[in-house]
Amino acid sequence: MRYAGISVAILLMSAGCGKSPKQVTEVVAVERAALPSNPTDAAWDEAPEHQAKLLPQDQVEPRVLTPTTGEVRVRALTNGSEVAFRLEWMDDSKSDKPGPAMMIDACAIQIPARMEKDLPEPQMGQDGKPVQVTYWRADWQAAVDGRGDTIRDLYPNASIDHYPQEAKPLAPGSDAQKEMALRYSPARALGNIRGGPRAAPVEDLVANGPGTLSPGPSLGAKGKGAHQKDHWSVVISRKLPEGLSPNQRTHIAFAVWQGSQRESGARKMRTGWITLSRRSGS
Amino acid sequence: MARVYNWQLGREMSYWYPESRPQRQFAAVFDTNKCIACQTCTLACKTTWTSGKGQEYMLWNNVETKPYGSYPLAYDLKLLDMLNGQSWAGNKYEGQTIFESAPAGERVLGWRPEEQDYAYPNVGEDDCANQVDGGAFLNLPHMNWFFYLARICNHCTYPACLASCPRGSIYKRPEDGIVLVDQGRCRGYQECVRGCPYKKVFFNPMTGTSEKCIACFPKIEQGIQPQCFVNCIGKIRLAGYLSRPDQVREDNPLDYLVHVKKIALPLFPQFGLEPNVYYIPPIHAPVSFNQQLFGPGAGDAMKAYRNAGNDPDLASLLCLFGSTEMMVSRFRRTGDVISGSDDKGAEVVRVPMREPVYIRPAIDTKNQLVRINCP
Repeated sequence: MRYAGISVAILLMSAGCGKSPKQVTEVVAVERAALPSNPTDAAWDEAPEHQAKLLPQDQVEPRVLTPTTGEVRVRALTNGSEVAFRLEWMDDSKSDKPGPAMMIDACAIQIPARMEKDLPEPQMGQDGKPVQVTYWRADWQAAVDGRGDTIRDLYPNASIDHYPQEAKPLAPGSDAQKEMALRYSPARALGNIRGGPRAAPVEDLVANGPGTLSPGPSLGAKGKGAHQKDHWSVVISRKLPEGLSPNQRTHIAFAVWQGSQRESGARKMRTGWITLSRRSGS
Repeated sequence: MARVYNWQLGREMSYWYPESRPQRQFAAVFDTNKCIACQTCTLACKTTWTSGKGQEYMLWNNVETKPYGSYPLAYDLKLLDMLNGQSWAGNKYEGQTIFESAPAGERVLGWRPEEQDYAYPNVGEDDCANQVDGGAFLNLPHMNWFFYLARICNHCTYPACLASCPRGSIYKRPEDGIVLVDQGRCRGYQECVRGCPYKKVFFNPMTGTSEKCIACFPKIEQGIQPQCFVNCIGKIRLAGYLSRPDQVREDNPLDYLVHVKKIALPLFPQFGLEPNVYYIPPIHAPVSFNQQLFGPGAGDAMKAYRNAGNDPDLASLLCLFGSTEMMVSRFRRTGDVISGSDDKGAEVVRVPMREPVYIRPAIDTKNQLVRINCP
C-alpha cells in the first residue's frame, strides 16, 4: 500500500511537470538554430535541467560560513557558435540598488580558458590555468532596463548642493562638461568597466586564482535577468568555449550572490566543476 | 597572518601582511584645543575631491563633536563595543586588536554602516557631555565639556582597509605611506568599508567603487600641505613625515611632537592600525575619556600641553601650525622666533612666538573722538 502511494505521487509529479525534460547530472547544451535571449522563452523547455548544489565559498577569506542559496537550476542551449545558459535560483528579495552596505543580486558562470588534461582550481582558477568568467548583476540589469544614471534614480529624495560639471559656463553635453564630470568620477576616468554607466548587464572576465579577477578578452557576453516573485531567472550567453565542439565536453562552474544576504565578491555560494556537454536537439 | 611590530601598542601583533614600512610616512598632528568646528576643512575637501555624482554623502574630512558626535553614526562606539573592553598595562596594550579578534572566516573584526548611518553627519553637534541646568552661567573651569574632533583617513601603517580587500585593490605608497584605492581595479565589494574602524572609506553607488581620502597627494608631491590643512581657520593642523621611534630626528616637527614630547597621540591606537594622524588631546575633557580615544599617554600629553608656556621649543613649534602652506621638514627656534625649512634646507617660514601688540588709547585726542572697537 505504501509503495502504491509513492507511485501515485510520482505519477502526479510527472503530470505536473509535463513540459520539463528530465533532470540530468551534467549541464547539457542542446543544439538549436536560434538562442533565446529572454529567460521566459519557451525554447528553454527543450533543454534538460541540471540542479547544481551550491556550496559556501570557504576557501579564502572572507569566507561564507553559513550557507544561503541552496541550488541553482541550469539549462543550456547552443547554436554552434554561442552557448546560452539560463540560471534560476530562489531569492524572494530583489536587491538591485547599490549603496552603502547594500549588496547586489548576481550570478556568474566559469569555464576553463583552455582545454587541458588537468582542470584549473574550481575556485577562480589558478596561476597559469586561467578561467573565463561571465558575470551578471541585477543593478546593471536595472540600468539597462532604463534606470537613470543619477543619484535621484537611486535615492529620489537625495539633496544635491552642487555639481561642478553642471555649473556655468560649461555647456550641457559639451566635451568640457564631460571632462569635468570625469574629474569627480575617478573609476570612470580610469576606464574601470565596473564604473559604468552600463550598456550591458554582463561582463567578460578572466581569473588566475582568487583575487585576480580582471577584464578579459571579449567573449561576446550577453545577458538578461528577470526577478519573479520568489526567484531570479537569468540568461547568460557567450562565445562557444574551447572544448564544446560536437562530441567534446568541457567543464563549468556557477556562482550566485544574494544581496539581501550581504553577499559580494568572495562572499558567495558556488559550485565545483560540473561537466558541460553538447548534444543535438531532437 | 604575519607578526608585525606596532610601536603604539608597545608590542608585536598579527596583521594580514608582513611588516613593510614606507620610505617615509605621511603624518599629521591636529590640535583639538584649537578646533572651532567651522567645517572649513570639510568644505575644502568636499569642493576639491567629492563634488561628483555618487559622492554626495561622502565626507573624507569631517569634524564631529565629542562625546556624542560621530560620522557615520556610532562608528567608534560600535567597534569598541564589539571589542568588549580591553586593557593596557602601562604603555603596552594587553587587549586584542581588530586583526587579532577577527572572527573565523574574516580578515578583521568589522561591521558595515547602513545607509541611515550616514544620514546624521552633525549628530551631537555642540552637545555637552552632561546636562546644563537652567540658570547656569559661565564659570571657569567650565562646569561641562565637549570638544571637536576633526578626522581624515589616518593613512595607517597597518591599514584595515588594505588588509580587508580580497583583490589587493588598496595599496600603501612606498614613497610616502599614503593609502589609496586603485580606482581602476576596485570592484566595489565594500570589504574595505567594513574593515576600516574609522569608516573613512566610502562606497560610491554611481561608479560602484569605494573611494577615500588621498591626502591630496598631488600637493604632497610638491611639498605642499593638503587642502584641509591649509584652509584651516583655527590653524590646528600640521602635516609632515613621521619617523619610526628608533629613528627620531628632533628637528622634525612631527617627530618632536609625537616621539619627543609625546604630546600628540593616535586615535584609538587599541584598534591596532598604527594610525598616522596624531591628536593633541583636549585639555578640558576628562583624562579617562581622552585615554579611551588616545591611549594611555593622554594624561601626560595634557600636562605637557598645559605647560607649553614654560617650554619655549614646544610653544614655538605650536606657532608653526597653519603658518605656511609648505610642508616643514625641519624647525629651529632662535630666541622668540621659529623658522621652518623644507626637504632641501630652504627656509619656507619664519614666525614670532608672540605677535606684536599695539594698544590704541580709547580717546583720540587729536580728533576728540572716543574710539569704538569694531571688527
